[in-house]
Amino acid sequence: MSDRALTFAAKLKALFTQRRADTAFDEEMTTHLEMLAEKYEREGMSHKEAARAARRQFGNTTLLKQRQRESRTTMFFTNVWRDVRYGARQLAKTPVFTIVCVLTLALGVGANTAVFSVMHAVLMKMLPVQDASHVFYLHTTGWPDGGSQTGDSNTSFSYTIYRQLRDQSGLQEVMAFIPMSFSGKAPVRVGGVPEEAAGDMVSGNYFHGLGVGTELGRGFVQKDEEDHTPVTVISERFWSTHYARSRDVVGKTLFIKSVPFTIVGVAAKGFEGTEGRLPLDFWIPLQSRPEFNAWGNPAEYGMYLTKLNFWCMKLMVRTAPGVSQQQALARAQTVFDQAAYAGVRPKRAGDETYKISFMDAKQFDTQDDSFARMLKTLMVMVVLVLLIAMSNVVMLLMARNSSRQREFSVRLALGAGRREIARQLLTESLLLVTLGGATAWVLALGATRALGTWSKIQSNLQPDGTVLLLTLGVLFLLALVFGLAPLRAAMSSGPEMVLRSSATVSQSSFQKVRAGNAIIVAQIAMCVVLLVGAGLLQGTLRNLLNTPLGQKPQGLLVFGVHPQHAHTKDESIAFFVALQQRLRTIPGVESVSLVSNRPGSGWSNNNAGILVDGHKPNGIEPDQAEFRGNIVGADYFRTMGVQVLQGRDFSDADTASAPKSLIVNETFAKKYLGSLNAVGHVLTDPKGTDPSLIIGVVKDHKYTSITEEAKPMIWTAFAQGGPQNELNVEIRVTGDPMAMLPTVRKVIAQIDPDMPLLDPTTQSAVFEESISQQALFARLAGCFGILAVVLIATGLYGTLAYRVSRRSAEIGVRMALGAQRSQVVWMVLRGSLLLCAAGVVLGIPLAIAAGRGLESSLYGMKALDAASYAFAVVGVAIVALLASAIPAGRAASVNPTRALRLE
Amino acid sequence: MPADKSEVLQGTLDLMILKTLQALGPQHGFGIARRIEQLSEDVLTLNEGTVYTSLLRLQQKSWIASEWGTSDNNRRARFYSITKRGLKQLAVETENWERIAAVIGRVLALEAKA
Repeated sequence: MSDRALTFAAKLKALFTQRRADTAFDEEMTTHLEMLAEKYEREGMSHKEAARAARRQFGNTTLLKQRQRESRTTMFFTNVWRDVRYGARQLAKTPVFTIVCVLTLALGVGANTAVFSVMHAVLMKMLPVQDASHVFYLHTTGWPDGGSQTGDSNTSFSYTIYRQLRDQSGLQEVMAFIPMSFSGKAPVRVGGVPEEAAGDMVSGNYFHGLGVGTELGRGFVQKDEEDHTPVTVISERFWSTHYARSRDVVGKTLFIKSVPFTIVGVAAKGFEGTEGRLPLDFWIPLQSRPEFNAWGNPAEYGMYLTKLNFWCMKLMVRTAPGVSQQQALARAQTVFDQAAYAGVRPKRAGDETYKISFMDAKQFDTQDDSFARMLKTLMVMVVLVLLIAMSNVVMLLMARNSSRQREFSVRLALGAGRREIARQLLTESLLLVTLGGATAWVLALGATRALGTWSKIQSNLQPDGTVLLLTLGVLFLLALVFGLAPLRAAMSSGPEMVLRSSATVSQSSFQKVRAGNAIIVAQIAMCVVLLVGAGLLQGTLRNLLNTPLGQKPQGLLVFGVHPQHAHTKDESIAFFVALQQRLRTIPGVESVSLVSNRPGSGWSNNNAGILVDGHKPNGIEPDQAEFRGNIVGADYFRTMGVQVLQGRDFSDADTASAPKSLIVNETFAKKYLGSLNAVGHVLTDPKGTDPSLIIGVVKDHKYTSITEEAKPMIWTAFAQGGPQNELNVEIRVTGDPMAMLPTVRKVIAQIDPDMPLLDPTTQSAVFEESISQQALFARLAGCFGILAVVLIATGLYGTLAYRVSRRSAEIGVRMALGAQRSQVVWMVLRGSLLLCAAGVVLGIPLAIAAGRGLESSLYGMKALDAASYAFAVVGVAIVALLASAIPAGRAASVNPTRALRLE
Repeated sequence: MPADKSEVLQGTLDLMILKTLQALGPQHGFGIARRIEQLSEDVLTLNEGTVYTSLLRLQQKSWIASEWGTSDNNRRARFYSITKRGLKQLAVETENWERIAAVIGRVLALEAKA
């Protein structure tokens, strides 16, 4: 055995030294012959005679050389190479067939790879941490009344909880991390240019607790957390993009929020933090400076380290070895039950108990369900596309190979073994699949990037080893199917077939026709499902786009501003008032206003508890009176293009010294005041303090998203409220809003060169972005639908064209016997329409089932939307007709005499 | 099967070459051919080219190794030498051969008596 292995290894090695070995052996042989001849000469022969005798004694040199060459290396590769060359010639002979097959495969496999790659990264991939099975995200079902939290209700915890879990729960590690702001980013400066970078403020054990190493330098230590040291670890990507991977980056200064931080390390390649779709650029230890309050909140609201009821920290845990997940969770729950009530009133009997849970340390902490559902649905769709693509190629291959039956018969007759033919078919299919697979991979790389951009995921989604493995697996399966499917047909062609005429061959393929029909029907059924899905999702997108927003986002430029040097309430208000006035002076600006939450961005202030003129609002318990809020500047509704129904908009006169005023929407006025005539009434909190005068009522309009229902809502003036450390500026301009951006940048730079514009974009884009997921879903589903239709069309066309060409003799006979051309055309069309009908009948129940699954992703559409079904049915019918038109025409143009003479 | 005959022949040639290399140390192809010619005393006629087929086979099994060197009359020649694996194989094959030869000898002797 090992001798054989050694021999094989030697032969493999020889493959690469073929030529050198040949010349070496030539030399060896020549020397031998010369020495032999010399020997004979010494024994008395003449020079010539000696040479001849030597050659005789030595044997046939050419034969020996050939034999030597053959046994020196393995013939396996030579044979395979011959098969490959032969296969390539065969494929090149039918370029259209080859291109159609390769493209079909590339689209089918490429789409699958891309969608799987995204799904894998988002739903399955674990964080690149050590021993990830012991690391978990901590989630909670809620928080006690009186707790203030960040909006990420499942993942926010207070500093007290973090400390007590760390000290008392027996968990091996508890890691805390806090985003720098609600966008996750903070202003930083590497050299002279201010920009934004994403970062987290983390506990001292963040890196070693997760088991993430560094490329360079060190991670954090406990002392960094306790002393709040101004040090930072940057990501490998930030290192590449901002420091060109220079090794003396350690010790350099990175300004974060204008505060100098010393770079102490570069995180291991591939680790992009624990914030899911936002890859991080830097990490700093927990800070105590007021400008580093959690999530960029103003320090006046209370620092996260000292304000006991501020739930703002995200937590991860590492369980100790040998402790089961349940045991660890139970102990943590006990600690949590205690710590959760720090800073709020103690738990009373009957209060809800909040449960914490451990979530697997995936790259993305539990995605919102709709995204996961979308990815799964897309995955099902692409698998359907792949099935259609695969059956298409199988049909094409079968059609092609049965027209090659004569070739196989000839080869069998000439003594080719069945094994050789099988090997050759497999080689051809491998060639096809390799070509298709390579194209598919290139396609998938591009498609994955596009998918990431469209779904607003900045972290790395590119296919990794797992995805590659799956793709290779799929390709291998395809190669087998494609190689083996036509094998039976090829094998059934015995050598005697050479003698038979093609007509008799076509008679024998009745069974094959039936198999082909079954495939076509299944394909059409799948196509119907895809088209119905695409129709439903397109309808949803159309509904979303046509939903009236109640405002005019066109012509609005929006960007965030975070003043670096305004630390008190008065300073910040003065800053924004001055900013608004400065921006108004720019030529081409119609109006300027400020707003806390960008409309359409999903953010909203949610409150409850009011009294109207000292009474219950319209008979509703004050605590139950829920409403949304937003904080805005003067001219807000004029700038946004919202109609003021009663009273007035905010103006520059609504300052801190003026009476506190607010504006409500229609729904608020109707629900809590009973009529639209709300102006002049006074709202207070449930205790009757903090009165505000209603100065206007505006028309209902969309706030958080396009899909929201109208809810009671109030607007207050920022100048009359608390400190503001970040506001969005809305500028209405004539013409393209983005064209105004450079001018605005210049103006802002004059005010403070260290202050970047945060997320500058158009207000229209904010709303578009809010439905980007639905748009992506609808567009991809549409693409897959179209892809399916194109595939079906090519498959159907190929099959019908092939069949018509096989049946030309039969058609000739029919016509000779008096069949009209129209009858012949109808014969072909009827065949394909029948197949189509069968496919539709099979597909509709499947589509209904699939539509049910889609129901939750629809907006303003029913799962049984008649238009979508009609669209799908008509779609496949048209495709079937178009695909059969050319073959039908060809059938009709069969010349009976010629067709018969050919037989 | 017709292949068997050549198999036996090949096997014996391999054995002879191994033994030659073990006895004489590193040799070139010509030297090996001479040695076998000498010992066979014209009983065995052999195309000397076949030696190289055998040498290649032995080399692929790592029983012998080869190295370029200079022959007695200053020619560049490839010298073959037996390896450790080859020595082991030689021992095994020698024993095998002797056993078979003995059996065949006995069988043939029996026939002669009868």
